[in-house]
Amino acid sequence: MDRKIILALFLLVHPLRAAVDSQWVLEESTLTYHVSHPLKQTEGVSHAAKGKGVCHAGQCDFLIAVSVKSFDSGDSNRDLHMLQVVRGGQFPLITVRTHLPEDASSLATILADLEVQFAGQTVQYRQIAFQHVVKGDDTVITGTIPLTLTAFKIDPPTLLTLPVKNEIPVKVEMKWRPER
Amino acid sequence: MNPKVAKLVLGAGILALSSLLSVPSRAQDADATLSGTITDVSGAAVPNAKISIKDVSTGQSTETQTDSAGHYGALNLAPGDYEIAVSAERYSTNTVKVAVAAGANKTADVTLAGVLSLLDLGISPEQAQGTAAAQARLNKRSHMLMLHQRFGLIAAIPLIATVATSFGAGGRSTSTADRWAHLALGSATGDLYFTSAYFAIFAPKIPGTHSRGQIRVHKALAWIHGPGMILTPILGAIAFDQKSRGERVHGIASAHGAVAIVTAAAYGAAIISVSFKF
Repeated sequence: MDRKIILALFLLVHPLRAAVDSQWVLEESTLTYHVSHPLKQTEGVSHAAKGKGVCHAGQCDFLIAVSVKSFDSGDSNRDLHMLQVVRGGQFPLITVRTHLPEDASSLATILADLEVQFAGQTVQYRQIAFQHVVKGDDTVITGTIPLTLTAFKIDPPTLLTLPVKNEIPVKVEMKWRPER
Repeated sequence: MNPKVAKLVLGAGILALSSLLSVPSRAQDADATLSGTITDVSGAAVPNAKISIKDVSTGQSTETQTDSAGHYGALNLAPGDYEIAVSAERYSTNTVKVAVAAGANKTADVTLAGVLSLLDLGISPEQAQGTAAAQARLNKRSHMLMLHQRFGLIAAIPLIATVATSFGAGGRSTSTADRWAHLALGSATGDLYFTSAYFAIFAPKIPGTHSRGQIRVHKALAWIHGPGMILTPILGAIAFDQKSRGERVHGIASAHGAVAIVTAAAYGAAIISVSFKF
């Protein structure tokens, strides 16, 4: 068979591949949520996020997903309680989608519009600032996503009848590697 | 009808009709249309995309959706600034802002990114989707552990009282009433304790999870106060019997006090080990 026909068929069954100019792969990540209570501060950390970015015609589309269960606060009982509170049995993943202009990689601060799916809800966050540093082949992105419990319709857990604060900021540190 | 009155009525009618006709014509002059095409990053049309056109000044939204060719349109828009939010399955929502002038036919094409799916991250649909049963299991676990906590805290009250009355029940000069009070409080403690223990033991286990942190201390202490809560009343019953016969507490029953103190101490430590967390 003619090689051009084979190539055409290949592109036909792989429309994504045909449209993509370059890709980004999430190499390493540290996501840390912070819960505040009048009596105690708690943090939970996950290194299990998976992410990918595809760029075409000057626009990049990113998708990052992390399992709710992967967050570790140092106490399994608390983690399971958190899993229950955020409806992690039914909605086991947190996903974040964003798209950025390809030239954003030249900026020190990236302002991204995020679409966060968590606990069965989808919430848009506008113009979230991320710091951007290039280290060798890798690009390190750091920032904080200002999640709130009410935005995701999560009842705040309580300690001694006092609820935790509504704000649960998630600190993000991600190392991305370009693939061309 | 009086000709003057008839003229007046006719005049008023003409005035009302002309004002009725003039309002929509003015509105039509001011009204604008907004239309465009929704495509993905490869340029392909996105059918059935939901379009929400929000008037920034009033906050009011007009909803529509794209046809099979990715086209959308909205009529009768007042001039002003609008926010167009476009969402479609498998795509990330994109929002653009447009200014619409009076009477203009504004075009706003929007590109949706989002060809990536969870499969591209190596996450299968099974991994991405939980079940109501899994959530129900978590809910049941939390509910049972909440009851475990409440009964456990309530049990601490008669436990303290039992320890306090032990001095009157076990010393050299003891009274029958003190022994009975000690027995009654000890029994109440045991009942509440084992009710609390039931909820902890039979709370559903969550597959794939291992104990970490303070809860390990809490569970380890249960291996001390659990057997202690069984042994203490047995030894107490023997001691009670010996005392009731006028004998000094002797033999294995003489360990009742020591076992009870270790049990109560382990129980108190178990409560403290998980008290400052949520």
